[in-house]
Amino acid sequence: MQQYIIRRAVLNVFVLWIVATLVFFAVQVLPGNFATQQFASANLGGVTPESIARAEAVLGLDRPVVEQYGTFLWDLVQFDLGESFRSKRSVWNELGKAVPYSLELGFLIVLVGFSIAIPVGILSAVHQDKLPDYVLRGGAILALAAPVFWTASIAVIFVLKWDLFKIDVTGQPHLWEDPQAALQWYLIPMFAGGIAGTATTMRLLRSQMLEVLRQDYVVTARAKGLRERTIVMRHALRNAWLPVLTVMGLTIATIIGSQIVLEQMFNIPGVGRLLFQSIFLRDTPLLEGLVLVVAFVVVFTNLFVDVLYGLLDPRVRLA
Amino acid sequence: MSERNYWTRMRRQRVSRRTMLGASAKAGVGAAGIALVGCGDDDDDDVVAQVAEQADAQTQAREQTEQAAEQQAEQAAEQVEQAEQAEPAEQAAEQAAVARLDMTPVDGGTIVQQSANVYETVDASLTVASPVIQVLARIQSKLLRFSNPDSGEMTGDLASGWETPDGQTVVLQLRDGVTWHSEGPGADNPASTAGRALTAEDLAFNINRQKAGLLQDGTDGPFGRKGYWSSIETIDIDDGAMTMNLAGPDATFIQGLANEFNLMGQPELLNAVEAEAVDIAPEKVIGTGPFILTEWIPGEGISAVRNPDYYNKGARADSYVWIQSFEDPTAYRIGFEQKQVDSMTDPDPDVIMAIHDGMVDESYLTYQGVANTVAIYVNPNVEPWNDLRLVKAIDLAIDRRRLIQQFHNGLGKVSGPVSWMQQAWAIPQEEITDYGAYSVDRDAALVEANALWQAGGGPDLGPIDWVTSETWALRAAWNSTPEIIATMFNDAFSTDQFVGVTKSYGEIIPSWFGKTFDPFFSWIPNIEIPDARADMAAAFKTGSPGNIWSVNEPDEIDAKVDAALAELDYDTANGLIREVQDFVIDNGQFGRCICYNYIYPFLAWNYLHPTLKTESEGWNFLASSLDANDQWIDPNDPSHEGRSVPSAKPI
Repeated sequence: MQQYIIRRAVLNVFVLWIVATLVFFAVQVLPGNFATQQFASANLGGVTPESIARAEAVLGLDRPVVEQYGTFLWDLVQFDLGESFRSKRSVWNELGKAVPYSLELGFLIVLVGFSIAIPVGILSAVHQDKLPDYVLRGGAILALAAPVFWTASIAVIFVLKWDLFKIDVTGQPHLWEDPQAALQWYLIPMFAGGIAGTATTMRLLRSQMLEVLRQDYVVTARAKGLRERTIVMRHALRNAWLPVLTVMGLTIATIIGSQIVLEQMFNIPGVGRLLFQSIFLRDTPLLEGLVLVVAFVVVFTNLFVDVLYGLLDPRVRLA
Repeated sequence: MSERNYWTRMRRQRVSRRTMLGASAKAGVGAAGIALVGCGDDDDDDVVAQVAEQADAQTQAREQTEQAAEQQAEQAAEQVEQAEQAEPAEQAAEQAAVARLDMTPVDGGTIVQQSANVYETVDASLTVASPVIQVLARIQSKLLRFSNPDSGEMTGDLASGWETPDGQTVVLQLRDGVTWHSEGPGADNPASTAGRALTAEDLAFNINRQKAGLLQDGTDGPFGRKGYWSSIETIDIDDGAMTMNLAGPDATFIQGLANEFNLMGQPELLNAVEAEAVDIAPEKVIGTGPFILTEWIPGEGISAVRNPDYYNKGARADSYVWIQSFEDPTAYRIGFEQKQVDSMTDPDPDVIMAIHDGMVDESYLTYQGVANTVAIYVNPNVEPWNDLRLVKAIDLAIDRRRLIQQFHNGLGKVSGPVSWMQQAWAIPQEEITDYGAYSVDRDAALVEANALWQAGGGPDLGPIDWVTSETWALRAAWNSTPEIIATMFNDAFSTDQFVGVTKSYGEIIPSWFGKTFDPFFSWIPNIEIPDARADMAAAFKTGSPGNIWSVNEPDEIDAKVDAALAELDYDTANGLIREVQDFVIDNGQFGRCICYNYIYPFLAWNYLHPTLKTESEGWNFLASSLDANDQWIDPNDPSHEGRSVPSAKPI
């Protein structure tokens, strides 16, 4: 197991280097740079080639690309992601501010998503081809079909119409600072994101459960007179769980994707929003840093899931 | 229709997007039906017959579209009629609005606005973009300021009075008792001198620095107003007066002193922070204005608190808070409806109207022109656009009113070479329709456009990429712009040559200065003062850096613009500029095809009292200096209940 983890970790570092390189050169291909984008609001007024050249020199964008790449890699091995062009703060500093928001929202989305998906998947399987199954599957298809921005927009209209609660888009409280205000702020995005992520997990869990519930050992358990609850929870669910767990790991990447939209809509200064801004502004150090961090989270989450997979199912040999 | 009536009737005459879509849908259904009938005859292999059928179908579809247009016109007329019937109610509303404007201002409170996310410098002299000015105009002062930014009426600021004995001399009486901020991050900066008196030398430093255009290291600096200040030959300082001797007669110079960009900074701090002026921080800013900057974190927030030592009556509000920009209308809407911000605007007027409709008793709408004139640029420096026939064809083919309808739901007015916002100099709206490119009779304009297009070999040009700037197309309400522009030209010339593409300013700017740019649709640089003469000179005079189109017309343009700039008699100058505009339009605007200026609806809670031009009209030009002093919050207004705003960072 230990060797497997080390091997995968080394491989992940290699993957991160590939990602870093791809991101660096992809950013170079993007038209324009921060020096020009920051003048966009001037609509060509007063901007001169000299002012752009000066701005590029200040930002180091006038150096050859290979030299920039070398500096980027050298800084990277020293865990220095550089400074954001916009804020002039270190990328780590920017991440330090953004990551907690994204983690809070991500955690809540996962919590809502899996809290709904797991019981619904089980119920649907247990009541296969009965009314609850049809209703729940119908609901899952609806959740799959409804984009997060649509669900969130409809919810916002209701909240504003009846003044249900305050959505603190300007105060931006953390959960540990003001739990009530933060939860109110996150409520719509966490449900919109959670519900959207529910369908896949729910449908997979249902199909796995159906397969497991037809196995001989489940029939045996029933023949032994075990309670249905025990059969489902202890014998069926544990065995149906493994493929679902793998998908849940991959879902993290999807959640990060949906968070970009939700963070924009609710003014949540998380990683997704920062990513969007950095692309638009061509804030390359920030963009590269963010993509690397997201890549890090995705590859190591998958490693974690694989390790968990082995722990949960002793038949799986990871070494 | 008078200008005044235009504003009050603006909303009534608007053909809403819903109406437009409804009519378009009807036309679309008709066209689709015809197309289906045409497609039904699969067995007919006769190509000629198919072509004839297609032509027939196109004709019928066009008729359907025309019918839809007629329906729109009828609906618009009905709307006007209904609105006129509702006159008493509107009059009552206007009276209420007038009463609101007449209210006695209340001092105190915090005004909360949305801010930009990007600021390129803390130094007003080094900026070319208005977001920086919207902050600094509260902190720093100018020599003069506009009391009416639209008409150009001025009042003293750092100068208490001024004289212009001739077109070449400006004498300013400097105000006594003005001091730099005595507290706050800028005052605490060791490089600044807190609380010292403002001197004439401070002002001369600001002017000479920009005029020279050099940074302390001797290199050229990005001084956006170098051209303006360079018209000063010498400055004489004598006993509280400053005399500016201009290099030549320039009747427009005096208004430039009130331009929002011409803010004055403290020399010692400007010098000390010059090398790191791009790193935004409040300790790099000190001023003499009504507010002291206490926080400036791009993308997060900005705070300013009232300057107790301000020379004038002082600001109404205790503090300002600019929160980070809402990049999504949902967040902005939540922020506004839950009173976390005091006002709201959006590129899509329907969004603003819909929100207002839901809170009509507690909020009010005003309209203001946007100083970013919208234009289509054609590049006559390169083939094939160096053929003036093609340029003129494009200018004639632009359906300006259709664009206003499609992008702004009818909120806007066409602009000639001089924007309608520079009202005193622009061709009046009732006259501009006499010009082919601005004619309401689109058929006649298109006949002429097609003739020129054919004569210039337009059909043989192959595919033509028509660029829309990314900054424009990124806005949700305008993201179909590339297709809309391409369709407009394809329809006009009955072709499919035009292809809509999007490019960032990063791509556009280098090709712009290299004069190699592809034709594109976007804003032109902001107009900053009501006097249009300097703008016309910048755009069309031979050799002017802003003359990207390489226009070279010594007799018809240069001589007349020079004469207008020197002319102190308004009517004579106006006549000269009108002649230049006529000539420019006759030549397809040389590729600088000005289209229109749109109008933003501005929605605010009743408790907010911004400075307004009239009860229903905001200022068309930057009015940050006015707002700095006169904007106020009414805590007694019923709409104030439940307001929850962030507090400003204290000194």
